[in-house]
Amino acid sequence: MLDTLLPILIFSALALAAIGAVRRVRLWRQGRPSAVPLLKGLAALPRRYLVDLHHVVERDKVMSNTHVATAGGFVAAAVLMILVHGLGLANPILGGLLLAASATMFVGSCFVARRRRNPPARLSKGPWMRLPKSLMAFSVGVFLITLPTVGILPADAGHWLLALVLSALVVWGLGELVFGMAWGGPMKHAFAGALHLAFHRRAERFGEGNRSTGLKALDLEDEAAPLGVEKPADFTWNQLLGFDACVQCGRCEAVCPAFAAGQPLNPKKLIQDMVVGLAGGSDAKYAGSPHPSQGLGGKPVGEHFGAPHGPIVAPDPMTGGKALVDAETLWSCTTCRACVEECPMMIEHVDAIVDMRRHLTLERGQTPNKGAEVLDNLIATDNPGGFAPGSRLHWAADLDLPLIADLQQVDVLLWLGDGAFDMRNQRTLRALVKVLRAAEVDFAVLGNEERDSGDVARRLGDEATFQSLAKRNIATLSQYRFLRIVTCDPHSFHVLSNEYGELGGHYTVFHHSTFIAELYDAGRLAFAPWKGGKVTYHDPCYLGRYNGEYEAPRNVLKALGIEVKEMERSGFRSRCCGGGGGAPITDIPGERRIPDMRMNDVKESGAELVAVGCPQCTAMLEGVVDASAEVRDIAELVADALVMRPAGGAVDATRRPAGKTTAEEVI
Amino acid sequence: MAFDAIFQPIEIGKLTIRNRVVSTAHAEVHATDGGMTTDRYVKYYEEKAKGGCGLAICGGSSVVSIDSPQGWWSSVNLSTDRIIPHFQNLADAVHKHGGKIMIQITHMGRRSRWDGYDWSTLLSPSGIREPVHRSTCKTIEEEEIWRIIGDFAQAARRAKEGGLDGVELSAVHQHLIDQFWSPRVNKREDQWGGSFENRMRFGMEVLKAVRAEVGDDFVVGMRICGDEFHPDGLSHEDMKQIAAYYDATGMLDFFGVIGSGCDTHNTLANVIPNMSYPPEPFLHLAAGIKEVVSVPVIHAQNIKDPNQAQRILEGGYVDLVGMTRAHIADPHIIAKIKMGQIDQIKQCVGANYCIDRQYQGLDVLCIQNAATSREYMGLPHIIEKSEGPKRKVVVVGGGPGGMEAARVAAERGHDVTLFEAAEALGGQITIAAQAPQRDQIAGITRWYQLELVRLGVDLRLGTRADEATLLDLRPDIVVLATGGQPFLSQYPEWGYSETPEESLVVSTWDVLSGKVAPGKNVLIYDAICEFSGVSAADFLADKGAKVEIVTDDIKPGAAVGGTTFPTYYRSLYEKEVIMTSDLMLHKVYREGDGLVAVLENEYTGALEERVVDQVVVENGVRPDEALYYALKEQSRNKGQLDLEALYAIQPQPCLSEERAEAGDGFLLFRLGDCTAPRNTHAAIYDALRICKDF
Repeated sequence: MLDTLLPILIFSALALAAIGAVRRVRLWRQGRPSAVPLLKGLAALPRRYLVDLHHVVERDKVMSNTHVATAGGFVAAAVLMILVHGLGLANPILGGLLLAASATMFVGSCFVARRRRNPPARLSKGPWMRLPKSLMAFSVGVFLITLPTVGILPADAGHWLLALVLSALVVWGLGELVFGMAWGGPMKHAFAGALHLAFHRRAERFGEGNRSTGLKALDLEDEAAPLGVEKPADFTWNQLLGFDACVQCGRCEAVCPAFAAGQPLNPKKLIQDMVVGLAGGSDAKYAGSPHPSQGLGGKPVGEHFGAPHGPIVAPDPMTGGKALVDAETLWSCTTCRACVEECPMMIEHVDAIVDMRRHLTLERGQTPNKGAEVLDNLIATDNPGGFAPGSRLHWAADLDLPLIADLQQVDVLLWLGDGAFDMRNQRTLRALVKVLRAAEVDFAVLGNEERDSGDVARRLGDEATFQSLAKRNIATLSQYRFLRIVTCDPHSFHVLSNEYGELGGHYTVFHHSTFIAELYDAGRLAFAPWKGGKVTYHDPCYLGRYNGEYEAPRNVLKALGIEVKEMERSGFRSRCCGGGGGAPITDIPGERRIPDMRMNDVKESGAELVAVGCPQCTAMLEGVVDASAEVRDIAELVADALVMRPAGGAVDATRRPAGKTTAEEVI
Repeated sequence: MAFDAIFQPIEIGKLTIRNRVVSTAHAEVHATDGGMTTDRYVKYYEEKAKGGCGLAICGGSSVVSIDSPQGWWSSVNLSTDRIIPHFQNLADAVHKHGGKIMIQITHMGRRSRWDGYDWSTLLSPSGIREPVHRSTCKTIEEEEIWRIIGDFAQAARRAKEGGLDGVELSAVHQHLIDQFWSPRVNKREDQWGGSFENRMRFGMEVLKAVRAEVGDDFVVGMRICGDEFHPDGLSHEDMKQIAAYYDATGMLDFFGVIGSGCDTHNTLANVIPNMSYPPEPFLHLAAGIKEVVSVPVIHAQNIKDPNQAQRILEGGYVDLVGMTRAHIADPHIIAKIKMGQIDQIKQCVGANYCIDRQYQGLDVLCIQNAATSREYMGLPHIIEKSEGPKRKVVVVGGGPGGMEAARVAAERGHDVTLFEAAEALGGQITIAAQAPQRDQIAGITRWYQLELVRLGVDLRLGTRADEATLLDLRPDIVVLATGGQPFLSQYPEWGYSETPEESLVVSTWDVLSGKVAPGKNVLIYDAICEFSGVSAADFLADKGAKVEIVTDDIKPGAAVGGTTFPTYYRSLYEKEVIMTSDLMLHKVYREGDGLVAVLENEYTGALEERVVDQVVVENGVRPDEALYYALKEQSRNKGQLDLEALYAIQPQPCLSEERAEAGDGFLLFRLGDCTAPRNTHAAIYDALRICKDF
């Protein structure tokens, strides 16, 4: 009986799946076009899956092994089952392999089941809770029906009732794993995920050591193209596909600083909101942690709804209307990329958020709180603070800094960033100048010719202002000759290095820690031994996750004689200070403040001083009330430790105990 | 950006000044070796530059000529090329930290003293005597005028050759240039007096000669007054005319403006406004000058606070603010603004200890900052953490000496407990601040309060420490700063009793602190003639009492400094307080409901009586020594200081003596009035120099 039934079941499941797949593909294709090479992408898929994706999954060893067993077992079992039971190739070898595959899958399923017994908050529940059972049903069913194939049991063993039970198990399994894959069940992730990997909009992020973190430019000349994303269909089709790949594992939720601070953003929910939008409907079926909501614990599920061609954010926020996502959710993001870094499905949350912000800012003028003011300032003064453009060098009035306009050609162009207007950051800049001079670096500054890099404008969605700033900066830079740009601002670093290229500006950019490490290695700097207390290092998102520079700052600290007490969240898992993405400007309230949480991380490390390498981080962390640790930029620590080497003489090793800023460094 | 107006650089001539804050010219009384800017002078200005000051104009009243005596105030002597290398040291020290430095140059004319040094004959346009210095002078002759004009040019050359950034011609404070300007002093009928142009001529010739000597790439400015405040002197409109006249030459790079002339005691008090003045009382005069000139205007006078400076600059009243006393109180004021440590700024309270010492020919010191102008001795403005053992330091007494001791010990990183019997810190400062016009002296306490809390000092207020409590804490060091009590028991005839109901006299402390109610008809006997007596008189009169203040000294308030006694007198005369000198308090007795004070004339012995309802006696402080003697024998150093080490700013040797074990015995130091009554500065200085090595 099974011999007749199984091929029918298998092929109808496959047929239904094919129908579902076509429907799903049509949903994705509501998105705008995206030029990705389809065949090349498909060809790259195995490597992207087995290497790039696996690197991420492997961070959780147990889960990684579980997935290898379950998914690997399933893929093998499915193929073999089609051969053995679908096409009737009842070969004992194939049967043996099928038994092994389904057994492996069963073992994996047990681990999946174990994980689901007491699931962490980040995991979505709902249909996901039945998945281990479905996996088990499939693997057990396939295993049992295959036993006769290899002759362990006679072909007609058991009662017809048993055959019926086994068929039911197989139907359940096929339903979940094959039909469900294409019709929106939990297994959708395998189908959408595989295609997402193949057609990923950032093909360049795959491959050993590669990363792709710069935002993609809007084509402002194309009048047909929407300015950002108003409705789900405004995303490119492969972005929609990417959302659909979400496996709801909640790793993004676990690392999101805004979520932890109780701000109304859960990146996982946001991606699911997009999935609701692309298919149409409400979020009622969402079974994970909601977007936090002050006082309520979480925004109630089921009150938001969307459609592919309906607005994502309700047009008039003043009337309190709801659509798919509340604007405050989008403005809570610090663009720290912790979610992207952790996502095993390689989903690009930050791109999506900025795309939606672009619409709110460019089309609706709804950048909240200080956002509009900051953008106006950028437009009027080329800096976010609205300072007189001619005052960018005021902090250095007594330093006699060389201007590149006077020299035309230097080794190093020191990019000041907008920290030049900030009294705290001016201390860092002065320290950096001291270091450059001690190492006799041939450097100059643009001075008043420098403009804001455009980072904040871009992250606030004002692509037009970003491009205007970027193009003018590129035009200025093109007048001069320099080997590289050095900056103490990772945001400028990132934008100059990764986002100007698309607009025609290609530069070698160094973060100051990288440059200082290089100077030290070249023997151009000498330091007196560290006498201060315990030190930890806070990785700036735009230096670490965005640009992969984790080592140079640590090497500089090591050269200073400091043994870094690492925080639990450090390196690629560093927790954001809360200062990125214009978040301090849009200032969406939460239960806690992100920098407070970060300072608590510092406290837990036992450090009395936290070394930083970013003006934003410095500002955010120093803004913490009753902080237990002092905040110093790496440049300041280096400047403090400098020993001037008299020609041929011994170094002067006198040094003040660390920790106290002298007036001299300040003024 | 907060304080952006302060931190906007400005061009003066061809010189870029990094911010808008200036330490304006004042007499430091530090130039030694015949008016040379030696080590102390250089370090004093280097500290300001290190602390972020944009521009320092040094050398108030630095002389250009040999017959303008410099010795009285140890001012800088630019009449000789010997100054040039000293200037180079000074310029290097300031430039190294990004600061700029200029010097004020002048001939003081009649405004000096002749009775010493070279016994110079003083000069002025018409030979009219100057009252503040009681100085007579000759009428200047044409030849002398031209010599002095040449001296100005040579002095400017020396400043330039020494690497300074500019000179400020002093035409203020009634120096020779403005003696020519002012019809009050210039009665000449030749080409140097009479008409506006003639009165301007001397200054104009000086300016021309100086500019011709130094060329265009050296800053030359002029300091003028905004209004002489004399009916027969130069009015504000006159000064605007003068400023515009000189500005029109294009030879000046800046103006400094001071409100008020200063050739009388009363106008002098305006020039360096003490704590009784409102903030920036004469800004409007400087703003008036700014209206008519085309170059930057600097104004100093009671600008002490960064918010105030920001407001003035933002308002565009002037281009640069002088924060001169603010820098004397805290040379790191700019750095602290930049670091967002506004609360850590030691703000000038306008006690005018600095300037009042200067007028006595003494070196300028700060009442509350003992490190100022002692940088050359190694006294630090920023106390570094000790690298030695962490100690338990117990300080007894929350007056200025005790607060400084606790602050310094805590900055050194020690575990500090401070006991104060009263409910609040401050000691005698708290009492002094009760008088009308004197409330701002409490700023000294406010800063310490903030600092002690910031540094985590264990403050035990309202707690009188006794021997047992102290020793229970197992201190390594005990610092006693317990002060003392009014010394009313010196003469039994005064009828003082420790039982208030029986005492015939009360102290100024009793009155100011509110411990006794003000009488209606009060006699104050002031044997000391410093602040307490006149403060009590002002306080009582303010409460409606009829007050007579009597002293056996020259005059009540005679020992109050030259910029502060005038503001007391303004208030006391207005309230019809009678000030009587040369009478001693002989005896007090009760008669009916009233008291009879018997006064004895110092010079004739004649007795006279006053029938009053309250007799207040100010007779100084008697040290409170009880706790000291209770602890002395138990202490490891028997309470003694090594004076050679103390005066040489070296650590007390007992601090490094070996001990059998930690906690084994303690060192005992006492300072301030509990040793001998001196003043606030003395207590703070001792506290700093003893505790800086803990």
